[in-house]
Amino acid sequence: MSVSTDRDSQESGVRSQELNPPFDKGGVGGFFKWSFLRRFVLLGIIILFLLQFFRMKVLVGGLTGSLAVWSLNFIDVFAWLETLAASKSFTFQALLAVLPVIGIYLIFGRAFCGWVCPMDFLFELVSKIKSRQLPVGAIHESPVQKIKARAQHAVPLQNIPPNIGYGIAAALLIISGILGVPFFTRYLSHLTNFFMVFNSSVFLALDLPVSKTVLIYSGAVILSLILLEYFAPRLWCKILCPVGTTYGLFNKLSLLKLRFKEGNCGECNLCEQVCYMDVRITPYLDQPGLRDTNCIYCGRCVEGCGTKGKLIRMNFKSP
Amino acid sequence: MNFTRRNFLKIAALTAGATVIANKLPVPANPDDTPSAGPNEPLPHISTGGLIRPPGALSEKLFMAKCVSCGVCVNVCHVMKYDAVATSPFGKGGLWGIFEYGIPHIKDMRDFPCGLCMECPKHCPTGALQKVEKENVAMGMALIDLGLCFGWNGDVCLSCSKACPLGAKVFDFYNGEWGNQPFINEACVGCGLCVKYCPLGGSAIKVVTKKQYQNVKASYAGEFRKLLAMSNEERYNIVYSQNLPNIMGRGKLIEREYR
Repeated sequence: MSVSTDRDSQESGVRSQELNPPFDKGGVGGFFKWSFLRRFVLLGIIILFLLQFFRMKVLVGGLTGSLAVWSLNFIDVFAWLETLAASKSFTFQALLAVLPVIGIYLIFGRAFCGWVCPMDFLFELVSKIKSRQLPVGAIHESPVQKIKARAQHAVPLQNIPPNIGYGIAAALLIISGILGVPFFTRYLSHLTNFFMVFNSSVFLALDLPVSKTVLIYSGAVILSLILLEYFAPRLWCKILCPVGTTYGLFNKLSLLKLRFKEGNCGECNLCEQVCYMDVRITPYLDQPGLRDTNCIYCGRCVEGCGTKGKLIRMNFKSP
Repeated sequence: MNFTRRNFLKIAALTAGATVIANKLPVPANPDDTPSAGPNEPLPHISTGGLIRPPGALSEKLFMAKCVSCGVCVNVCHVMKYDAVATSPFGKGGLWGIFEYGIPHIKDMRDFPCGLCMECPKHCPTGALQKVEKENVAMGMALIDLGLCFGWNGDVCLSCSKACPLGAKVFDFYNGEWGNQPFINEACVGCGLCVKYCPLGGSAIKVVTKKQYQNVKASYAGEFRKLLAMSNEERYNIVYSQNLPNIMGRGKLIEREYR
């Protein structure tokens, strides 16, 4: 017992000393409210989706498309765009399904990424594990750790232009139009594949008809995304994922946004260091609010801020 | 070995994982259960002609373009206690078989036929499944293997017609000396309930897509008419020399061979 507490205190001490931006983003805590609420919402949604296996008509399907309380359909906005591009035709059912989603994210902006997307949780776990594995000193460094440390600096993320995400989304739409299938949503999407793994594994356990190759392929996609996260943190969220790019456009109009109070800033830059999505916050502190398409409203800047939530706020009305 | 709590937890987790994996491994089949020879499914010379889609599906090309693999129909089917719809794997047609991945289909009609509850087309969020009446569904077409069916080989069975949700509309009976002789006409929607309730081991009915049915229609109807026009002696020879041994061998087939 005593040994473990010693080690814990050592580790936390090392973590707070070695704030090594932008790679060490796991260890900064403090004002826990938003992260707690965020995880609560994600867990709640996953539990609501689990209820379908007990034959309850609460939330059925996956995050690409779902059915709430057996009456209201939802479909992901980018998936809808892809079906339009692929089929070159229009169905009234799909429009009815996409309108509530558009309504929700006109209020909450890109909050889908931070609050609902299960990959955000998995990526956060990866970054937590990574922050523990950072090379502490030269003495205990094994060859494996050296390789890991080198790999963490392998991809120069800062050099990628941020607007390339729109290009990728447009290219995927064009590919869907040419092939005649919703290409990203069916084969590559983290949402589809996550729920494919989720549903198929439960069906396999219940001895119901399920194709094992579906489980294997989807599991491979999710694992490769986690590997990508390990070597290039949040490259998927920031640039590659067209779903996030689409929801990012809602940030321009959303009611929810980051708002700043005047004064009090100690210029510690902690808010930008803890931000997963590398949103630039400090240059805009003199303005009333921030509308960055990369902001996922995770609230980590609010928590990480040295003023403990007095300077940066996340709400609907201006302070 | 230094036996700490952490080691104990590790060993416990490994044991649990190994147990789970070992339970999921395929068990070597008992040689007594498996048939010695003979095809395992009815009408082995007719292929299914692609996957059987859920009821109310658009035409194949449009369905592929509209469906986003969200899994609503799969789980709606689970909630309705039919469990018929599953997500399709990569198809066998070479490179183009890749495109079949992720779209729902009726996987296993012997165990999980479609109940025609019509809930999946009602709740499809993309409109890839359109609302239709029960009678107008075009999932496929059930074909009876005339060599395996009890009704065509000296018995009165009627199981398929009792299981059929459309009943007398679909089944024509040609009663004769060799049984009640059922025949499924083109009003069949392909739900597969008859496939499940056929008492023959491994079922005597096969569901093919409507498109495939157009291809095999002529030869299948020819076979049917040939049997009806056949004289008693010829029929006797066929039933006792070929069909009945096949049927008896079928009795030994294990259930759920599709999975």
